[in-house]
Amino acid sequence: MFPWVYGFAWTPGNIIFLGIFFSVVAIIGATVLISLFRTYRALQVNKTEAIRWDSEFHDLPATSRKCRHELSGEFKQRTCDNGFDCRTCATHAKLIQNKTLNSDDIELPIQLFGFTIPTDRLYHRGHTWVKSDASGIYTVGLDDFASRMVGTPDGIELPAIGSRVQVNGSAWRFKKGESVMRILSPLDGEVVAASDGSDGWYLKIKPLTKEVDTRHLLRDREVAAWFLREFEQLQEKLADPKVGLTLADGGTPVQDFVKAYPGVNWDGILGDVFLEA
Amino acid sequence: MDKKFISRGVSRTSIGNFGLWISPWALMLVVGLYAVMLCLFKGLNQTNMDNRFAFGLWIYLDLTVIALGAGAFFTGFLLYILKRKELKAVINSAVVIGFICYSGAVGVLMVDVGQPLRAWFTFWHPNVHSMLTEVTFCITCYLMVLAIEYVPVILKNRKIKHVSSMLVFEHELHKLIVVFAAVGTFLSFFHQGSLGGLYGVLIGRPFAFRPALGIWPTTFFLFIISAAAVGPSFILLTTALVSKITGKKLVKPEVYQLLGKISGSILIVYVLLKAIDTLIWINSTSPSLGFSAASFYKFSGFGTWIMFAEIVLCGLVPALMLLNQNIRQQFRWLITAALLACTGIVINRFVMTIQTLALPTLPFDAYMSYVPSWQEVATFLAVLAYGMLVYSFSFRYLTLFPQERELQSL
Repeated sequence: MFPWVYGFAWTPGNIIFLGIFFSVVAIIGATVLISLFRTYRALQVNKTEAIRWDSEFHDLPATSRKCRHELSGEFKQRTCDNGFDCRTCATHAKLIQNKTLNSDDIELPIQLFGFTIPTDRLYHRGHTWVKSDASGIYTVGLDDFASRMVGTPDGIELPAIGSRVQVNGSAWRFKKGESVMRILSPLDGEVVAASDGSDGWYLKIKPLTKEVDTRHLLRDREVAAWFLREFEQLQEKLADPKVGLTLADGGTPVQDFVKAYPGVNWDGILGDVFLEA
Repeated sequence: MDKKFISRGVSRTSIGNFGLWISPWALMLVVGLYAVMLCLFKGLNQTNMDNRFAFGLWIYLDLTVIALGAGAFFTGFLLYILKRKELKAVINSAVVIGFICYSGAVGVLMVDVGQPLRAWFTFWHPNVHSMLTEVTFCITCYLMVLAIEYVPVILKNRKIKHVSSMLVFEHELHKLIVVFAAVGTFLSFFHQGSLGGLYGVLIGRPFAFRPALGIWPTTFFLFIISAAAVGPSFILLTTALVSKITGKKLVKPEVYQLLGKISGSILIVYVLLKAIDTLIWINSTSPSLGFSAASFYKFSGFGTWIMFAEIVLCGLVPALMLLNQNIRQQFRWLITAALLACTGIVINRFVMTIQTLALPTLPFDAYMSYVPSWQEVATFLAVLAYGMLVYSFSFRYLTLFPQERELQSL
């Protein structure tokens, strides 16, 4: 195997065979070492949250990764491969102009099958909303769909004041039944306030930059289309497989879906809703 | 009890039922390990192999599982190099099956060499002119590659991925998985080929000997192509079997059909080349070495039916079935075709290993029959049990079929 080993000879056969063998071993070893080095570097610069989201996103079912432009009818079928980050999506840039927060299009809150969708804010696909105030602080909360689904959580873990959150990173966590879920942050910024009181759970975030890019957030009419699809999907998952999808004949959604439907695979459903694989 | 370790959105049987499922396999493994210990401590006299029948059940097992395990490298090649993204649905399962097949084969080889403590001699003092040396080096390296490819699948476990360093390492390793796919393809090409080549160079055994193309006998190429052909069929079969046992939809019907189509497309090429090779052997190679091909088929148990079964019934027939879209769309027939294709390769490896050694080649030789000892059978079954256990735990705690969650909610 090596020149100093008994029986080794500098023959073409030995040189070619062992040359190929050592090259293969070197490639395997180098690739593993590069992976380890990149891991070390990523941990050093704290890229964990971005990597976690990238990993989670690609493990989500295709039905949970529909492009917003499919929901709005601009495409017949389009699955997002960009982690719902429309800020870096060339297709999105072509299709929609960046609108400012609190745009003139905003009208009265939309009521959809009993869900309230205020239109004075932007929405993240992980079911959070974002609203800015005059001081430049952004409030992040859970939308009506998610609030009704979770009801009263069994536990909540809010980020510490002064900690930083990043887009598609973990904003806060909650426990419901046997599931522990994280809520995705819609913005980059520093947490300046957090509440889990009677007025709902919210964070107040101070952006890290003066200009806040919100192109990845849903707005205006597309929010209703997205809500509708989310509701349809939920109905499909809750439907009795023997009966199939049925049409509700009125009423409003309950405040705690998880409690109202025991015996359902909520772990999976909550994962689909909050985009956690 | 172990729900926190099970992937989100999928359901698994209770821990009690799982325990009942794995118990017989664990028992079979224990019995097999006892047989292994007997072979290691008392020697190969525990087997029914001898100097004439030096390759028996174990080498047959090795050749077969390595051929069937080719689905791992070939699926990886198609997914990561040729970008057939539909195969993402089965790649994790293919890697686990490949790992089981190759680690099982290497494990049995360690028993088969008789002096496992000297197994490293083959690396330290390699005979580079031996096909077996190439096989040993390639299989060892490829097992290393499969183990590395298995790591990201394990690190994606629901609980393990919460550890940041594990998650990031999995991510970084997966980004470079194309390198391992390419290396795996390169290694598989050579060791699959060399496994065939080592029979094709046996000039003293005209039943197996084949003329060379370049420096390799034709069996070198036939083994590569046949392994690539049945690898996808075996993935198809195992996926269907797991789906049947668990009662869950694991992949979309299109994935099954694609695997069948890929398998059929390569199998038809293999059958054509195998038929040409056989005709040349019957009419030229064998007579030139002083034997009529018919003389090899006059012994009981090894009639011409075995050739018909291998090339026509389990070669041409499944190839034509898999190439027919209407048949592929009927799940029952798709499974039948895949089963026939895998059976064909199982027969081929049997013919090359057992029949080759059983037939007499010298005037004073007699036709030999060989029946493995219970220790050989128990070791063989231990590999099966090991495979079932590794796969069962992997299926329970890892995401082997990414589409399962989506299909379960439909």
